[in-house]
Amino acid sequence: MSIAPAELSRTDIEQDLSVDRPWITLVWNDPVNLMSYVTYVFQTYFGYSREKAEKLMLDVHQKGKAVVSNGPREKMERDTEAMQGYGLWATLQKDD
Amino acid sequence: MARAFRRKGARFVARLDDDERQVVVGLLEQTHELLAPVPREPTGDPFEDLVSGLGLPRLKDVGDDAAQGPRDPALERLLPSAHREDPGLAAEFRRLTEYGLRERKAANLATAISALQDSDGDKVRLDQEQAQAMVVALTDVRLLLGERLGLRTDEDADALHDRLEAASEADPQLYLAAYYDFLTWLQETLIQALMSM
Repeated sequence: MSIAPAELSRTDIEQDLSVDRPWITLVWNDPVNLMSYVTYVFQTYFGYSREKAEKLMLDVHQKGKAVVSNGPREKMERDTEAMQGYGLWATLQKDD
Repeated sequence: MARAFRRKGARFVARLDDDERQVVVGLLEQTHELLAPVPREPTGDPFEDLVSGLGLPRLKDVGDDAAQGPRDPALERLLPSAHREDPGLAAEFRRLTEYGLRERKAANLATAISALQDSDGDKVRLDQEQAQAMVVALTDVRLLLGERLGLRTDEDADALHDRLEAASEADPQLYLAAYYDFLTWLQETLIQALMSM
């Protein structure tokens, strides 16, 4: 990823995450997507706060990948498809 | 000479001269060509036509990727495998999502193209919806250019600027690298404008 970042928040998602975690959506680092854009996508699509979106973005950049959502398989398929629609390199898998 | 996207009220405004708009539109069109789903002619088979009309993949197109020959590596990046360890699930995901993803990406690119073509002289003015389509469309163009430039790692991307300066005029990659650099700048300014809301 390359550089930059904003604001929004939705708390219902946080609660949703803790219920049950059979599947996860991952976003992988790539050399093209801008750091600012990845943050923008996480805020826009998931409704994450800027702080949370930036933390996930930095995880992608520094650790090579980050879990951006978890929940039922169908939901993870929708999230993965949406991330791919934005041009992010997203995959899903069973959380083990 | 280009001027960055800035937010003006509810609009996102940049300045791009004729040459710059022509280059960006040309790149958006090439990306559209690669991504747009192949239009479906009626087959005469009522069930297949019905399924096709629903925007689902035609049954005869459904199968393993191997049967359809190797894909352009840029397509592989634009529509990546969604399961790293399970080719069966990856194929199923692709079957269910690829047509829709291609349609939506093509629609974004078309929105971006007409927004640039409808510019007021050098002044490009986008509403919120057009700006959101543009920022995604620019991503897809940069992914395509990045693949053609062989950008595989963050280090490759960092080295692009040096590559640009060291390249000779005759190097065909020089243009790609220069376009990539320009689109990176343009996209960054639009993201900043979108995020400043």
